[in-house]
Amino acid sequence: MTVLVRLVRYRVAVILGLTLLIASLTVSGFPSVTTLGLGLDRSATIGIIAIGMTVLLIARQIDLSVGSTFALAGITAIMLQPVIGIWPAALAGVLAGAAAGAFNGLLSVVFKVNALVATLATMLIFRSVAHWLTDSQPVPGTDIMLSLALSTVHLEIFTLRSALFVGSILLLHFWLTRTVAGRNLFAVGSNADAAEASGIAPGRTVFLAFVFAGTLAGVAGVLQSLTTNTGSPVFGAELIVTVIAAVVVGGTRIEGGRGSALGTLGGVLTIAALTTAMEFESVPAYIQQVVVGLILILLVVLDRTVRPGPRTHAAAGVPG
Amino acid sequence: MSAVATALRMRGISKTFPGVKALSNVNLTVDFGRVHAIVGENGAGKSTLMKVLSGTYLPTTGTTDIAGVEVRMRKPADAQRLGIRMVHQELNLVPDLTVAENVYLGRMPRKWGLADKAKMVRDAAAILDELGAAIDPKARLGDLSISQQQLVEIAKAYAAGPRIIVLDEPTSSLSEHETAALFRILRKMKQEGIAIVYISHRLKEVLEIADDVTILRDGSMIDTRPADGITAAEMIRLMVGREVTNVFPKTPSEIGAPVLKVAGLGDGYNFRDVSFEVRAGEILGLTGLVGAGRTELARAVFGLARVTEGRVEIGGKPVAINSPAAAVRAGIAYVPEDRKDDGIVPSLSVRENISLPVLRKLSRFGRVSMSADRKLAESYTKDFSIVPPDPERRISLLSGGNQQKAVISKWLSTNPSVLILDEPTRGVDVGAKAEIHRIIGELVAGGMAVVMISSELSEVLGVCDRVVVMRDGHASAPVERAALSEARIMALATGEEAA
Amino acid sequence: MTDVPIQMQQGTANERFRSGSPLFDLLSRGGLAIAILAVLIYGSLASPVFFTAGNFVNVLTSMAIVGIVVVGMTFVLVVGGLADLSVPATIACGAILSLALQPVIGPVPAFAAAIALAGFCGLMSGLLIGYVGINPIVATLGVGTIVLGIVQAAVGGVIVYGTNPDTAALVKSRLFGIPAIVLIFMAVAVVGHFALSRSYWGRWTIATGGNYAAAEASAVPVRAVKAGAFVITGLCAGLSGALLGLTLQSARPLVGTGYEFSAITAVVVGGVSIMGGFGSVPRAIAGLVFVQLLTNVMVLQGVRTPVQGFALGLLIAIAVALDVALRRRAGGAL
Repeated sequence: MTVLVRLVRYRVAVILGLTLLIASLTVSGFPSVTTLGLGLDRSATIGIIAIGMTVLLIARQIDLSVGSTFALAGITAIMLQPVIGIWPAALAGVLAGAAAGAFNGLLSVVFKVNALVATLATMLIFRSVAHWLTDSQPVPGTDIMLSLALSTVHLEIFTLRSALFVGSILLLHFWLTRTVAGRNLFAVGSNADAAEASGIAPGRTVFLAFVFAGTLAGVAGVLQSLTTNTGSPVFGAELIVTVIAAVVVGGTRIEGGRGSALGTLGGVLTIAALTTAMEFESVPAYIQQVVVGLILILLVVLDRTVRPGPRTHAAAGVPG
Repeated sequence: MSAVATALRMRGISKTFPGVKALSNVNLTVDFGRVHAIVGENGAGKSTLMKVLSGTYLPTTGTTDIAGVEVRMRKPADAQRLGIRMVHQELNLVPDLTVAENVYLGRMPRKWGLADKAKMVRDAAAILDELGAAIDPKARLGDLSISQQQLVEIAKAYAAGPRIIVLDEPTSSLSEHETAALFRILRKMKQEGIAIVYISHRLKEVLEIADDVTILRDGSMIDTRPADGITAAEMIRLMVGREVTNVFPKTPSEIGAPVLKVAGLGDGYNFRDVSFEVRAGEILGLTGLVGAGRTELARAVFGLARVTEGRVEIGGKPVAINSPAAAVRAGIAYVPEDRKDDGIVPSLSVRENISLPVLRKLSRFGRVSMSADRKLAESYTKDFSIVPPDPERRISLLSGGNQQKAVISKWLSTNPSVLILDEPTRGVDVGAKAEIHRIIGELVAGGMAVVMISSELSEVLGVCDRVVVMRDGHASAPVERAALSEARIMALATGEEAA
Repeated sequence: MTDVPIQMQQGTANERFRSGSPLFDLLSRGGLAIAILAVLIYGSLASPVFFTAGNFVNVLTSMAIVGIVVVGMTFVLVVGGLADLSVPATIACGAILSLALQPVIGPVPAFAAAIALAGFCGLMSGLLIGYVGINPIVATLGVGTIVLGIVQAAVGGVIVYGTNPDTAALVKSRLFGIPAIVLIFMAVAVVGHFALSRSYWGRWTIATGGNYAAAEASAVPVRAVKAGAFVITGLCAGLSGALLGLTLQSARPLVGTGYEFSAITAVVVGGVSIMGGFGSVPRAIAGLVFVQLLTNVMVLQGVRTPVQGFALGLLIAIAVALDVALRRRAGGAL
């Protein structure tokens, strides 16, 4: 039984390893540096958003509007290109993401609306703004060369996007485990009242977490738009499922208080490996969804059953 | 330590909420190196006074001096900066962080801008050692037992180097054994010159540890006396404003045949090989140290937890109880220890709470009969004097004692033959306590078998016919009341006497 | 255990709030009714077509499909199950299977089978959430994704067409001028309301959402009750999907997209608490009526879809923020 417990504890690594193993054996052409580069790049978009989502989930919140923020930020970056230039426009896109996050934070913290409901509403609001701005049509960017530049692979593995992703995740890991602010984030997610009584400001922490998540969704959206040289109001519509799946597979709890950046990295890579392998085999999109869904459910069930709730009532908080 | 002897002086403190005066002109003076206890019934204003002291509330009028200097505290951080630390009744800890991180929450030591984890662990270990607590500072807090968490909370307050420590019902989750350990810690803090404010319902403990006692009643300060100049009876008189002679009235009853029999029961973890029987008309006490397994045993008998060995018999016939519904069918009822978490559904009315276990019986073709529902609630409200007498009132608005009466009513509506009560008078003021015991006495006189789990030894000795003492998951044979004393129960509970 | 004197606390279970201001009392109790009235008045003034029988029948018809899902979703929120995000999948299941199975087993058995399978999916979600204890968002997202994929795979990823035009005619028929779909919706709403407010199962649902541990300790079969809410939603969504499929006589896999959010919007705007333990089917339906009427007015006024979405999103945010603010005024009740 302890073997099983050990397996569950390191399950992210185990699943990732298994996936890579099976894919390498069954899918021809899978194990190669190009695949790694490809997988990393395609996972970068989900991954960058997942970084923000990890922070939010640890704080016991959620953001369903990241897909809409993703589209909106990209549109902003593209549409402002002729007006203020490419890089300032890109910055504006990121700021749009931050603003979206701030709006979510406002609703959740100041107006105390449940995060699920609030971001459900903003998901709709931001998506509508995106459609309104673009008249529901994709908008072309001004610099096709830039999009090519962004897609080039350096050192045979990394694009700008995937390098950014990997670097950011490592930074997040460091921040979560070593800084006081990071530990305080866990405190707020685990027991906000206790955190407050100890002088931590939970409202401010949660607000900043929303801004962070929005900003990262904005970064991902801007990068996507620059890479495809397009701003489209339908970008990112199905992202949310994959992002949550990646984060949860990585071991971060929706209930807050527990999470890990490395776990998210593992989760993102696992899903990327899966989808890449399936694409190599021309598996239709809907089957891919089934597989991702199954992995998600399986892992969550395993987590629940192997690591059960407290055995004694004493540990649960009631003396015997 | 300062040259000034007086750590805290609160003068003329009043606190008014819309429509209610919670505190009225209260004075409190506490010197460094002394333990000052505050006693009073629920609603007397103890918590409100402490919230003023800890900076959570701003007093409507009155002044507070700390070490001779007048202060105005607008938020908890202000009070903490002045050296005031609270140990709350409801634990204020973060389950997902480690013990060390909890002790230093909000004040984490830094090295080069980052959290200095090594130092936190070292310092926390030193403090826990000083307090005599065998707790690993790297352990996740949520994995510890309640009494261990309570110790961490105390360590947290102590580690901050306070001048004044306020403890609000610190022994409510501690056994007598752990309470003694706590008192050792408090005496040590006294020697270091820390001023200690101690709030408790447990008058015997108050007399043991306190130097001075202040009695509050209905928001006013009634008196402050040195602890060696007052008795428990007098404290009660001042708290209640009237003579309460017998807190534990013992109604004589006829004891009949065994109703519930437990044989070799165990869950493989919290309790093992427990055997006893309860007879009609009898109150069987179940006591022991915290962690002995009493609540786990009760929950298992009631079907809320799994049993791996042994059997349960009702009326001589073995029954398989694997859910509360099955327990109810067998005639067992269980009033849980934690009212707020397990006892009431706060958003529902008193009536809806009372009929919850018997809804199916009140229904025809799936539809609940409102008239039957109402009648049930009304009859219990009347019989048990539930105040206010309005079954439609939301139950969360009732006082602790009345909520408890409602919970007991809820279980009586299932017509049980065995009633298990888990700490039935915890968090209930003296007046309601007597009423609840009266109700229990009536039930027993009517032939019900009652199991009463209690940590208050005077209650156990006063009310129970026989007592089973549990220790580390094992149960003694039932001992007759006549053969018991508090000392003997303690001896059985700690293993000084073999069960 | 309350240390605060009794005089400070007032209120009965039927009054959610009692604050100092009569305005707040009015808002909390009849706020939605007032809002609906306001929309009706505005609509009649803004468009000549609004207050006509024809327009109202249209509104009712489009409301009916979402409405059936809303009834189910109410149970999920009241039991404390947060939300059922597998609705698009179960609607698709109902739509696709009710058409695809027609040539195989006949239209009526196909209808029943489609709904039953959707209910089965709800059971899967329910078991994961109620018995294994998985977070409902994760569970329903996961199950929904899997189910949608399976359904698509089963029909080969193509659009399914109906082969029995009689059923379409039946579904589109009217009784006393009211379309059959609307009658079905009303029947479901009545049954749902009765179940939640009068039956013991409904009381159990409310108790489970109000305080899970206390309900369990009161011999309520909490796990079954929690799972049951998701089965109910699955069945309702399956019914909606089947009716949708029959009406359109075609079914794409994405036919159910957005319904879960519309349903949650309606329920939340109606004042049902996402924390559980409070709410009723009439409240949710009132929320639905408001949202649908508002959308209708916007459509009649030629308001573009994005702006409609914007308005809807803003509406949810305002409705819930208002709800929270009113509760706080009353003294931090539920």
